[in-house]
Amino acid sequence: MLAFIVRRLFVSIWVFLAASVVIFFLAVNVRDPLSEARQLPGPAQESAMAEITERMHLDEPTIVRYFLWLADVLTGDLGVNRQGQDVNAMLEGAFTATLQLVTGATVLAIVVGITIGVVSALRQYTALDQTVTFVAFICFSLPVFWIGTLLKQFLALDFNDWLADPTISPVFIGGIALLTGMACASIILGDRRTRLISFAASAAAMATLLAVLSATEWFTDPGLGPFVVALSAAAGAIGFTTLVRGLEWQRPLQAALMTAGVGVVAMFALDPVLDDPDVLTIGGLAVLTAAVSAGIGWYWGGDLYRQAAIPSAVLTGLFTGAVIFTDRMLMNFDNYSASVGGRPISTVGAETPNYEGTFWESGLDSFGHLALPTLALVLLSLASYTRYTRASMLEVMNQDYVRTARAKGLSERAVVTRHVLRNGLIPITTLVAYDIGAILGGAVVTEQVFGWSAMGSLLFTGIEQGDPMPIMAFFLVTGGAVVVFNMLADIAYAFVDPRIRLS
Amino acid sequence: MSLPPATPSVPSPSSPLDAAVTDAADEVHTARTLADSSPPTDEEILTVENLTVEFPTDDGLVKAVRGVDYTLHAREVLGIVGESGSGKSVSSMAVMGLLPKNARVRGSIRYRGQDLLTLRPREQRSLRGRKIAMVFQDPMTSLNPVRSVGDQLAEAVLAHQLVPRKKALERAREMLELVGIPQAGKRLRAYPHEFSGGMRQRVMIAMAIINDPDIIIADEPTTALDVTVQAQILEKLLEVKDTVNAAILLITHDLGVIAGMAHRTLVMYAGKPVEIGATDQVFYEPRMPYTAGLLGSIPSLEGERDARLRPIVGTPPSLIHLPPGCPFSPRCPLASDICREDEPAVTDTGDGHHAACHHSDKLAEAADATAFFKEGR
Amino acid sequence: MTQNPPASAPEKGPAKDPAKDPATAGARPPGAADAAQGMAVVARSQGQLVRRRFLRHRGALAGMLLLFFVVALAVTSIGAGPLPGWWDKDPTTTGNVVGNGDPTLSVLPDLLGGGGVHLGEHPFGQDNIGRDYFALTMRGTQVSLLIAIIVGLVATLVGTVIGAAAGYFRGWIEAVLMRVTDVVIAIPTLLIAGLIGVIIADKGVVLFALFLGLVAWTQIARLVRGEVLSLREKEFVEAARSVGTSSRRIIFKHILPNTVGIIIVAATLTIASAVLLESALSFVGLGVQPPDTSLGRLITEYRSALTVRPWLFYWPGLFIVAIALSVNFIGDGLRDAFDPRQTRVRD
Repeated sequence: MLAFIVRRLFVSIWVFLAASVVIFFLAVNVRDPLSEARQLPGPAQESAMAEITERMHLDEPTIVRYFLWLADVLTGDLGVNRQGQDVNAMLEGAFTATLQLVTGATVLAIVVGITIGVVSALRQYTALDQTVTFVAFICFSLPVFWIGTLLKQFLALDFNDWLADPTISPVFIGGIALLTGMACASIILGDRRTRLISFAASAAAMATLLAVLSATEWFTDPGLGPFVVALSAAAGAIGFTTLVRGLEWQRPLQAALMTAGVGVVAMFALDPVLDDPDVLTIGGLAVLTAAVSAGIGWYWGGDLYRQAAIPSAVLTGLFTGAVIFTDRMLMNFDNYSASVGGRPISTVGAETPNYEGTFWESGLDSFGHLALPTLALVLLSLASYTRYTRASMLEVMNQDYVRTARAKGLSERAVVTRHVLRNGLIPITTLVAYDIGAILGGAVVTEQVFGWSAMGSLLFTGIEQGDPMPIMAFFLVTGGAVVVFNMLADIAYAFVDPRIRLS
Repeated sequence: MSLPPATPSVPSPSSPLDAAVTDAADEVHTARTLADSSPPTDEEILTVENLTVEFPTDDGLVKAVRGVDYTLHAREVLGIVGESGSGKSVSSMAVMGLLPKNARVRGSIRYRGQDLLTLRPREQRSLRGRKIAMVFQDPMTSLNPVRSVGDQLAEAVLAHQLVPRKKALERAREMLELVGIPQAGKRLRAYPHEFSGGMRQRVMIAMAIINDPDIIIADEPTTALDVTVQAQILEKLLEVKDTVNAAILLITHDLGVIAGMAHRTLVMYAGKPVEIGATDQVFYEPRMPYTAGLLGSIPSLEGERDARLRPIVGTPPSLIHLPPGCPFSPRCPLASDICREDEPAVTDTGDGHHAACHHSDKLAEAADATAFFKEGR
Repeated sequence: MTQNPPASAPEKGPAKDPAKDPATAGARPPGAADAAQGMAVVARSQGQLVRRRFLRHRGALAGMLLLFFVVALAVTSIGAGPLPGWWDKDPTTTGNVVGNGDPTLSVLPDLLGGGGVHLGEHPFGQDNIGRDYFALTMRGTQVSLLIAIIVGLVATLVGTVIGAAAGYFRGWIEAVLMRVTDVVIAIPTLLIAGLIGVIIADKGVVLFALFLGLVAWTQIARLVRGEVLSLREKEFVEAARSVGTSSRRIIFKHILPNTVGIIIVAATLTIASAVLLESALSFVGLGVQPPDTSLGRLITEYRSALTVRPWLFYWPGLFIVAIALSVNFIGDGLRDAFDPRQTRVRD
């Protein structure tokens, strides 16, 4: 295994170097860096040209310039651009922005995409499945800049306008309720009657909820309140326990419910801490939550149920934490909204310039700026995760060992979670790794649409000025990500599949 | 539930671990035959009546099983023989409740008086793997490749019994020993691809008996294996049957497998039973030309050296458009007009021997029933 | 390429969806092997089977019709090359802007309260200098389609040759070819395509498309290599080799015909993603350069007009979606049609 990793690493380095040569030779030829200087009048022309020539080593052959660049890069110096600015500094800002943009989008796309794919496979050929398939194909076929611009126009501008007077029209309520009902009815299995009941119940619940939210003008000053938080935590406990081990037994459910209870109590106890925390506090709390939940599961599960109780409790604990986090965010919404002139969804840039606020308010600021580009990116990559997961799951569901699992008398839930999911997701890990590698380089168009000054600007100014340094910096990060994640994909694949691991 | 004592049947050879070698080497003791095994009782544990299974398809309704009746007694081995498409596998999958959702199943399958087809899914599941277990055809694909063997065995225990995982793994180890896998404790952590085909089929048998079932359905358990390993697996099946006091439903297309293994034999053709009786009766006094044809197509070491095989010409009928009358009539050397118009019912031909043929008396008169079929070229 | 769904299959991943079409899948219940064999009585040739399964895929059929409509419209309306079209305006002539340049196309019949079904003077409206936007959109569609098809052909050709050679010859040939593939994969498509696009900006769209094809072949190469690797171990190749058949003949007569299915599917999906890649490049200014135009360029040019003349933004976008969607659906139908697993019967 170690030999495999070392060999793979060695190959990756050579591949990356070869690619960098190709890019460098293209980048130096992309445009004449002296073209602007040539326009200058008189003696200024000569000195400007000399200065740029000196700075960019234009008097050296390309191959020499490449090695000069490579030598610098190996010491961690990315050089200076045509104007003499430090490329390291430029890259740092650009990379941070891009990373901020793609991280949330990628995680969201993976989680949601795989979930939809799994559900769609489990409900093959239902209306839900066919709708998902159709929507996925539309998502594949959307140009990101087109849909991004439309999102800006309709979602951001219109949503912000709507927030001024947040009443939901009855037609809209009816439509959403109808869609919710249809989705629930197609997810639930059973005869016509059960499905009708679930359709009616979920549609009615959604309609009531929206009507109440609209009547109370909830959207101007949103929040969940302790009651809804507690209710969600309990629902989470039941949901996760069902998912992990089913509800036949009491103990895992009890452990999860206890965790939820502890979480709600902690919400009150930690009130002063949560007023204006920092990122570290939140991270620490998340770790603490997981540890405490695991402890509860371990203790209350005992010998017999530990295996089911620990994951149920941990998932419930983290979920409760997330609900409390959301609640806090929402509580700060009216303040934030007022501070940005009632237009919380932004269409340009990564943050409101010079914005100062509490942890929650700057969180909302980031959220407001990330919402649209994230949505655009998610729409695009969601589809491929959904399709792949579905195909992979269906393939696994036809395998003989799944039939064996059923023949053992396992419940359908156990068959799906322990055999179908586990095996079906193995090829997805590879896909995810490839995709993460490619997404840094692929986000440049989205950045452009939403006016983010990020990796894309590096590339475009580099091309504009015929300046290889920013282009190479762009390549170092995006190409490097592709190479590294391709390598990780191969290694991860070897780890999760014992057939490869041992050979 | 009382677990039977696990008796390690084979002293574990210390080395080599190489599975292929142990496959061949570990069965040096005298071969076990049906005669040594505990005899069947009169208790009927599984009664299948007028079972039909149909699949709707684009091309029409596939009538995979068209009315099957049989009874399985406690500790009995009942062989079911037929070609691909005869409905033998589909009918046993119906017993397991593992048919695809679009299958239309009618009739009754009674396990100790309970009709499995009317049970709720949860009750059906609780019988599956606990009272009725199954050994599948292809051990290479029937085990999950990314989970350890011990894990998969323990899972079968945990699906039905509330015991700590450690206990379940201990039970799994005992079962592996019982089916003759050396160093069972160590092998629990191994993955399926580290086992040879024969060893994997032993794992499948261990999995089938781990909950002490009443019925083991073995669907072509040796078809995917090397000839040298086949006999060992069959013997192992007979051995564990006695250990757990189960009955076996042995499904195969290979008459050779049935010969030394089954108390009674049921022959199926085009979704229907065409002959049923004690295995000896079916083999030595076939009363249905199809059975005779099957017997004639087995190569034999005995008899005349230049004896040719007598294959059955033609192919099995389409299950969507069955010919009128007896479905075997287009291929039958004895077929007459009545055969092409009227499908014969299963009738008693004496001594508990039943057959569905208008001309079973002709077969009874013949000295060699296989002689009706022409010799192959 | 940033998004080319099904074609971006990781080599080891499941490239095929075993049963997607409700109609055909119902015919093969997984547990009903016996049943399925019973019906395998009508002999059908491979070609017939493929056609039958493809035509049964409703999405693919709809995709075919839509694509045919778009292609026919783009080619016949303003004509292509020396061929005259039936539309009397051309994309470059400027003129008076009639009534803010609103589209005159109407599809709602009078009965439903619409203005009747007619094209009008400027069905897609006019831009700010009075050019007929229908003619412009058709011109853009022609260019985008041309680029996508060239990219598809070049990528397929290069990918197939490299993949087949790597898969068949193994040894150092494979090592070199696959490393070259890795190098191309390591370079983000937008980066290399953008650089090339700028360098050859004044050489026209055909050359641009050729170069795009030269960077878009990696998926196909990996796919073909994987398929060839498994095929070369098959008995019929073994048999051919044992009677002394030459390598070239084995590749072209025995192996490649068996990979035609996946190649066609991958080529189709490459075309779909090429449409999107071209438009994305043109959008950021690295693709098609004036005076040429394409659907992506049109969107960029008129992006700021979204609030005043939204139709200038909608029409090219709709055509991009229509082309990509129909080609993706056709690809999906082809995959189902070629997937041998749909006819495989377990025994």
